[in-house]
Amino acid sequence: MIRPSRLVRTIAMLTATAGIAASTVAPLPSAAADGGPIKIAVITDMSGVYAGLAGPGAIAATKMAVADFGGKVLGRTVEVDAIDHRNNATEAGTKAREAYDGGAELALDMTNSGTALAVAAVAKEKHKLAIVTGGGTSAVTGANCNKYTYHYAYDTYALAFSTGASIANSPTGKKWYGIAPSYAFGDQMLADFTAAIKYRGGEFVKADRMPLGTADFSTYLLSAKNAKPDVLGVLNAGADTVNTMKQVKQFGVDKQMKVAVGLLFLSDVDAQPEVFAGSRITTSWYWNEDKPARAWADRYAKAMNGLRPTDIQAADYSAAMQWLQAVKAVGSTDADKVVAYLDGRQFNDFYAHGGEWRARDHRVLHDMYVVDVLDKSAIKEPHAWFKIVQTIPPGRAFRPESQSVCKKDW
Amino acid sequence: MRALVAAGNRGLLVGFALLAVALVLPHFVYPVLAINLVCFALFAVAFDLLLGFTGLLSFGQAMFWGGSAYAGTLLIAKFGAPFPVALLGGIVYSAALAFVVGLLAIKRTGIYFAMITLAIAQVQYFFALQFNEITGGENGLPIPSRGGAFGLSLENDLVYYYVALAIVVLGVAFVVRVVGSPFGSVLAAMRENENRAIGLGYRVERYKLATFVMSGTLSGLAGVLYAVGNRLTGLDAVDWHTSGKVVMMTILGGIGTIFGPALGASIFESLEYFVSKTPIGDKTNLVLGSIFLVIVLVARRGIVGEIVHALRPKLVDEDDTAPRKPNVAEHVPAP
Amino acid sequence: MTVSYLVTQIFNGLVAGGFYAILALGLSVIFGMLRVVNFAHGVMYMLGAFVAYYGAQLFHLPFFAALIVGPVIVGLFGLLLEVTLLRRLYKLDPIYNLLLTFALVLIIEDVMRVFAGALGSPYATPEILAGVTNIGVTEYPTYRLFAIVLAAVVCGVVWYVVERTPIGARIRAATENPTLTRAFGINTSRLISAVFAIGVALAAFAGVLSAPNTNVQPSMGDTIIINTFAIVVIGGLGSIKGSIITGFGLGVIAAIGAVLYPPIANTLVFIVMVIVLIVRPAGLFGIREGAR
Repeated sequence: MIRPSRLVRTIAMLTATAGIAASTVAPLPSAAADGGPIKIAVITDMSGVYAGLAGPGAIAATKMAVADFGGKVLGRTVEVDAIDHRNNATEAGTKAREAYDGGAELALDMTNSGTALAVAAVAKEKHKLAIVTGGGTSAVTGANCNKYTYHYAYDTYALAFSTGASIANSPTGKKWYGIAPSYAFGDQMLADFTAAIKYRGGEFVKADRMPLGTADFSTYLLSAKNAKPDVLGVLNAGADTVNTMKQVKQFGVDKQMKVAVGLLFLSDVDAQPEVFAGSRITTSWYWNEDKPARAWADRYAKAMNGLRPTDIQAADYSAAMQWLQAVKAVGSTDADKVVAYLDGRQFNDFYAHGGEWRARDHRVLHDMYVVDVLDKSAIKEPHAWFKIVQTIPPGRAFRPESQSVCKKDW
Repeated sequence: MRALVAAGNRGLLVGFALLAVALVLPHFVYPVLAINLVCFALFAVAFDLLLGFTGLLSFGQAMFWGGSAYAGTLLIAKFGAPFPVALLGGIVYSAALAFVVGLLAIKRTGIYFAMITLAIAQVQYFFALQFNEITGGENGLPIPSRGGAFGLSLENDLVYYYVALAIVVLGVAFVVRVVGSPFGSVLAAMRENENRAIGLGYRVERYKLATFVMSGTLSGLAGVLYAVGNRLTGLDAVDWHTSGKVVMMTILGGIGTIFGPALGASIFESLEYFVSKTPIGDKTNLVLGSIFLVIVLVARRGIVGEIVHALRPKLVDEDDTAPRKPNVAEHVPAP
Repeated sequence: MTVSYLVTQIFNGLVAGGFYAILALGLSVIFGMLRVVNFAHGVMYMLGAFVAYYGAQLFHLPFFAALIVGPVIVGLFGLLLEVTLLRRLYKLDPIYNLLLTFALVLIIEDVMRVFAGALGSPYATPEILAGVTNIGVTEYPTYRLFAIVLAAVVCGVVWYVVERTPIGARIRAATENPTLTRAFGINTSRLISAVFAIGVALAAFAGVLSAPNTNVQPSMGDTIIINTFAIVVIGGLGSIKGSIITGFGLGVIAAIGAVLYPPIANTLVFIVMVIVLIVRPAGLFGIREGAR
């Protein structure tokens, strides 16, 4: 048997040798040799709670964009890599780093705020481009803004200022009762909604905070009933929202007041239509909003078994297309050049109406839509859940440039 | 005892083989994957020190791994501490936590111990989620820069890998040393027959507590290395799934074989990485769970344990039917 | 804080406590008999809810039928697991069966994700139990009252069966002294299978009962099972009475705690557990020391 002390010495020597060897090795050659394919990494949730709103549909939409563009740019083929972040910020960051090191020129989607911020940080470090569509936190263009990250579809500020302002504008939408989880997302939503409705003369008479994963919202709902507000603001996310809304129906709260849901996607309504019928939400796009939207949605549906796209999936297509055009225009995939081209640029497509790549904080502006979720009995065709009640122009939907909290360091 | 010595000897061969692979690993796989492999290897070895040598199954080991990941990350991200200070901070945190938790849990064994550690780990998880102003909550806590240490810039993944590897090797060597020391002999005696060890005048609980603290501290060390390697600490670090993961790694490699768990961790982490890139990537847990199920049912000695067992000299009298059992205090149920 | 608010909150605690109690009961019965901590208990709870969901979707199975069909189907599934898998490991340290059931959690959850997706499946409250009932000081959802009553009834029945009937006597005997029980000609092997199936069926029952209340999705058992672990540790592993009282009691304590200081709601159960461990290591109702 080898004696431990000798063992320790042996290992220490081996390690020291390795350390010296390591400091002299050259880094791995980048896999992206010129002339090889240009890669777009779609970093998304492939099987978790957000798989429906982005996931495989986001991959399909991005591939559609590449195909529509001709499959090539600058004489090189364009590949779409599907990367599953499994809703784990650490994993998202590491996989993004690997994708960039492996030749990806664009990271797209990043559904789930934690993964969005993680990938944004990697983009900054690697000087490669990231376009966030799925992640919602307004920190992407606020405290965590950077030169190489754009926020494309929506954010918590836009949700609040569209839904909140739209309701608080009416005389019967001034008194709000809030239900928000007591973690970062809830803090953000509550702050944004408070500001939004205050702007229209509304206020929260009370806001209850509860932990993530609360199964029982009855206390808060009964307290809300007693407070007799005009509006119930459901400002949580995912399974918590479903639980809240189930119990809203159980207690008949929705018969007594308007229910505004902070964050909701078409796919959520597809999954549980009864639960969300009658609520008011904001979306960045709706597949049945106009003819071009519908035409694209029809093509998407053909590829996806009749399913209709969410606004995030449409945003992925639109963003990928915009990026490909930019790369073609500047004749390079170099992120600095592409950013210089995109900053301040205005555009229109089936997704973005009145679109602008805002240079100040890299927020991408476009119309937002306040919609009511229809009841099953009221819809004219499958998946046509939304009725647009108001279109919010870009200037009012997003945080004004003058109030930007982005410390622009580029 | 003789079997253990034999296992230890062959185990060392496994250890050197692993080290040889580790030295060239980042030239064949993505360097951050290599970093993750060695961090989890140390985590599993630290866990094996507890499970394999005291028989205590902690189902909350992520509280040390993740807790010190947060501690180290906070030191770097909020106070701009250099890497060695972050390491030290993480170690101190996990050692202190392990001491307190150990005082509370060490008197219990078997499934009680598993459930208690799981529950206490959940408390820390909810703290990490709740106090998001400190921890970043569900958004995680990013590390802007790894900084430097020992005159090297750690920004390069390869450099960081070799620094991490050196630390991991020292950690593993420490475990080997402990197990081979008189302290380790007492642990072995306790595991063979706890009452006899008590009868001989050993204060069994102190030995268990000391082992628990060592295991927790090394788990924490591995956690900081992992966090800095990935430049982010998220809730997954303190999640109970991570606690479950290290249990699976250890058993896959072989309880009580020290290097087995390191191998188990490497296999497990690589599998998770490569499976997640295939079309069945969304069913990673199904694949890992199935493998683990098979191991628990038919190969409880784990990979290294089974190999050592198959190669054992026939004269060693060993119970052929039972695998190396953790210390059992519960009575055996009806057959 | 008004009286009606407090009363409502106590009732909410009883609802949550009812689920805890049924789950803890199942865990306890299984533990008492098999010395197995069933990590897959939360998964069985989830499967119960999904039987209700798929039953309604595919066969228009009404809720009240699902309350019976769910536990039966999941109970049979549990029987299958016991006979094919768990049984192989009884001779070994109970930890191996804990690990086995942990592997089952990973496998079954992923399989369910393939079938049902992660998002959640709708399940409506039965018509007859929809709406609210006046309970004097305040109005309260009828379905929740029903859940409290049903949970209490189920707990009572299980307690009665185990403590006061001949079959219960056998179960207790087999738990205390398996060899002797076998000497009396009682087939302990079959008894073990039956007890595991029943324990699992209890979890499924809780799952069906929760379906109208919560989001039915593959990981719904994850959080609740860890809380239930803490509750059985507090109540004393293997103690029927302990599971029931602790389940309901902690449900109420956690509900009131959530009002006083919301951030503590998730951790309160564990904090209580730590305190109990310091004061009474065997749990509040633990008869024997679980470990020497």
